[in-house]
Formats: sequence, structure tokens, C-alpha cells
Amino acid sequence: MDMRNVKGVHFWQVDHKIKNIAVVPGNIILSSSQAWQKFQWVRKYFEREPREGYFIWIKKEVDFPLATCINIASPKISQDLTNLLVIEKGIKVKANVVCSAIKNNLCGRHFAQGKLLLKSGSSLEYNHLHQWGQKDFVSPDYEFILEKGAKLLYTYKNLLPPENLKLKTTIQSNENSSSNLSFIINGLNSKIGIEDTLLLLGQNSQGIVRLRLVGRKNSQIKAISKIFAKAPGKGHLDCQGLLINKTAKISLTPELICQNKEARITHEASIGKISEEELNYLRMRGLTEKEAIDLIVSGFLKI
Amino acid sequence: MKTLLKIEKLKVKANEKEILKGINLQMKEGEVLALLGPNGSGKSVMAQTILGNPKYKVTSGKIFFEGKEITKFPPEKRAKLGLSLAWQSPPAIKGVKLSQLLGKISRQQIEIKEAKDLLEREVNLDFSGGEKKISELIQILSLSPKLVIFDEIDSGLDIKRLETVSKIIKKELIAKSVSVLFITHWGQILKFLKLDLTNVMLDGKIICKSPDYKKVLMVIKKYGYEKCKRCPLLAGRP
Repeated sequence: MDMRNVKGVHFWQVDHKIKNIAVVPGNIILSSSQAWQKFQWVRKYFEREPREGYFIWIKKEVDFPLATCINIASPKISQDLTNLLVIEKGIKVKANVVCSAIKNNLCGRHFAQGKLLLKSGSSLEYNHLHQWGQKDFVSPDYEFILEKGAKLLYTYKNLLPPENLKLKTTIQSNENSSSNLSFIINGLNSKIGIEDTLLLLGQNSQGIVRLRLVGRKNSQIKAISKIFAKAPGKGHLDCQGLLINKTAKISLTPELICQNKEARITHEASIGKISEEELNYLRMRGLTEKEAIDLIVSGFLKI
Repeated sequence: MKTLLKIEKLKVKANEKEILKGINLQMKEGEVLALLGPNGSGKSVMAQTILGNPKYKVTSGKIFFEGKEITKFPPEKRAKLGLSLAWQSPPAIKGVKLSQLLGKISRQQIEIKEAKDLLEREVNLDFSGGEKKISELIQILSLSPKLVIFDEIDSGLDIKRLETVSKIIKKELIAKSVSVLFITHWGQILKFLKLDLTNVMLDGKIICKSPDYKKVLMVIKKYGYEKCKRCPLLAGRP
């Protein structure tokens, strides 16, 4: 999604300017700095007074997906966003979140710190889409706090990566809460660092983390995926890399730390190349080598 | 009838081992041929080589299609010329639905009742043996080919499905003068078809050509493939 497709977006920022904040009856959408001024209680979720970013407080269920869009449209912009999403008890929400550069050569910087609070029994389906230019630097750091019985379905998708991406994600999973996370990243001329941590903090907390990483030309991907079980919960890591160019490198480190003897945490990790058999099969159906690789990669990145 | 496919003294290696040891084969437009042979005799390697699988290295000999030499053509160029192969054990393409693949490769819209349930499933993933054959068949038909090689299309199919598949092949390919080569180990599909010629391959060579598949099968049944060289028919031995 870019500036040409912002209809239905509830918070839209371009460079440092807020273009639009929609009214969603029963709910509150503000800039983070307005929220800092208006609500004393939000301050504990911000480390400092925010400069830019959004505050979304869902108090009433809506039957459409919430959408936010943050664009970089001018050269050498450095965004410093602080976002907070709070979902009240028992409410179900779907959110489509887009962060992108609208041109390939803007040399932008996008720093985003996000906190997402899912109160008891609430549920969030969060689709996070990134599309960047070849010279951008992008560093999102998101923390999800899942209260008792909360449910999170999170998909991060980045098929057009920046030159440098540092992606940090932390999940605090309390009693009976569950999370299902997918990171889908296509590396191309980029250095990518991924660090995700699932903290199982409450009884029967559970989560699954899936990584699908593709190493194309001149890409270096380093992923550290952790589950830390402090309570009797269940967690699984599923990390898969696909190298399709000899100049690419993928490093996958799944890490399991268990501090509770009743917890059950597992992992599987693999890195491979495209199967010659699959490639030749598709070529015999008339696809060129490039078309066949693209099709196999698109299938690999589907979860 | 013009010659569609011509293979001359073809020798092929895989992993430094010679698999095909001088194959000669011709197929005319609209001709229906069978190739019989035991496991490991080189039947599938020949099919894969005709389609240009880079895994198999042609060390000598030539392949012609419609008079043009294609020995060094990449697989996609051969497919575009009208050559196609239904694989014996096709690989699964994870995350890609059969309908999506058909959307990318099809030259004509094909509907097969038996394939309906497969369209929204990932290509060949967890397909039964029979489902794989149906998936191969619909892909091949959608390519609108001039020559088709079916590699063991009859393995993994029950008799009812085999009859259905044979009917579709007859209606959509043979009746439309598409040349078809059936590679088969047991020859089950042959009874549903009218063949022009049956070939027997043994140890990388075609050792027998006969217009009567029944006689060939009978000899194989009686003597076994290993004794094919002493076949009393000596029919058209090259």
C-alpha cells in the first residue's frame, strides 16, 4: 500500500506529517504525542515523550480491519516513531499495518518502537507489511504484551527489503495466552538482522514462531529466534531458509531456554537450496529458470 | 506422415555412469508407441533427456524435433516447441496450488472432472499415486503439446481410473493426432490403446521393435526381460 491507495486508512503519515486520522466511533486514534499529553496512563508504555507515531485505543469492536500507513516520500528522511496499540478486554481486532518508501532511492531511515497491549481475552490479527527502497535503513522494535487468555496472530512480510533491516520482536505471553508469529522475508542486496523472543510467562501460555527467509543476490540474513519458558507453557520454533544465490548468506540460530520443568519447547531449523528436481519439472512445463525460481520462492514464502 | 521426433545414436551419462548406450528412435506425427523395459534399463532417463533435463549429459548423438536439432536446447524451449513429459514421480511444489501453476503454463483451458478436487491443493503435495497421474495429465493437456511422453502413467492407478485416463488420452491427444509414447513397466495401459509400435529397452539400448505388443508382453512374461535378447520373435531388431 502506498500513497495511491490510502482509502480506508485510519492513520496515515508521510515523512513527518500526519496526513489523516480517521474517526472510528467508540475508539481513539491520536498521534503518540497527543496521547502523551491527554492520557497520563499511557506514559508508562513510552520510554520518553514521543516525537511521532500513533496511539490506537480499541474500546469497541469494529467489523472492519484497522489500517495504518507510514510512508517515506522525500529523500533522507529519518522517522522516529513510537506507536502504542491498546486493545481492551475481550475485543477482537484485525489490523493491517504498512510501512514503506514510495521510491527506491530515498536513503530514508525508519525507526519504530511499538508496544501492543492485548488485554485479557482480546484477540489481534496483525498483518505487518514492509516495502523499502534499496538504500533505506529500517529498525522496528515491537513488543507485544498478551494478558490472560489473549490471542495474537502476527505476520510480518517484507518482500522488498531495505539495504539494512534490524527487526526486533518480543512477545510476553501470560496465562492461557497464545501467539502465532510468522516472519516472511525476501533478502535482496540487503543486510538483515532478526531477533525475536517469545517469553512464556504464564501457565498454559503457548506460541509458535515461523521464519521463512529467502537469500537472493548479495543478501546477508542473520536470525536469532528464542523461546524462553519461565512457566509451564508450550512453544515451537520453525525456522527455514532458502538460498538461491551464491552471494547470499543465511545464519539461523534457534535458541530454547527452559526454566520450568513442566514447559515443553521445541524447534526445527533448516537452510537449503532450490531443488533441482522441482526446477527442472517446472522448466519442462515451459517456465524459464527465473520464472520457475520465482514460483518456487513464492510457494516457500507462503505459510 | 512427417517425422516429429528423431533420436540418433544417443549416448547419455548421469554421474559419470553411461545410462543410454546408443539409442535410435523415430516418432511420426500422430504415432502411438510403447517403450517397455525393466527397472533401471534407462527408459525414464531417455524421457528426461528428450525433454532436456540438465542432470543427464548427452555425450554423443543427436535429438531432432520437427527437423530441428534440439540436443542442446533448455527444457523450457523444448516445452514451447510442443514436447512434454508426464513424470513418473513428479515433485511437490510447496505453497503453489495446481490452479496457480495451470494459470502460468496453460495454452488452453482444460477441464477434467477427476482433477476438480486437486485444483486448490498444493501441486503434488500429499497427492496419492492416482492423484499425481491426474495432475500430470491435466498439466500436459493444458500445454497443448505435439508429442507427449507418459512415464509409467499406469502405475498407481486402479483399473477403473486407468480406463478413464486412457479414454481422456485417446480423446484429447490421440484423436487430435498428437504423438504419444507410453513408457511402461507392466504394460497395463496398452490394452486400452491401439499402438503403432512397441519397443523394448534393456541396459540402455532399444533391443526390440514390434508392431504387436501382445506378443512382446507374452515373450517378456515367458522369458523375463533378462532373456529378451533371446526373444524368438526377433521382430524388427535394430
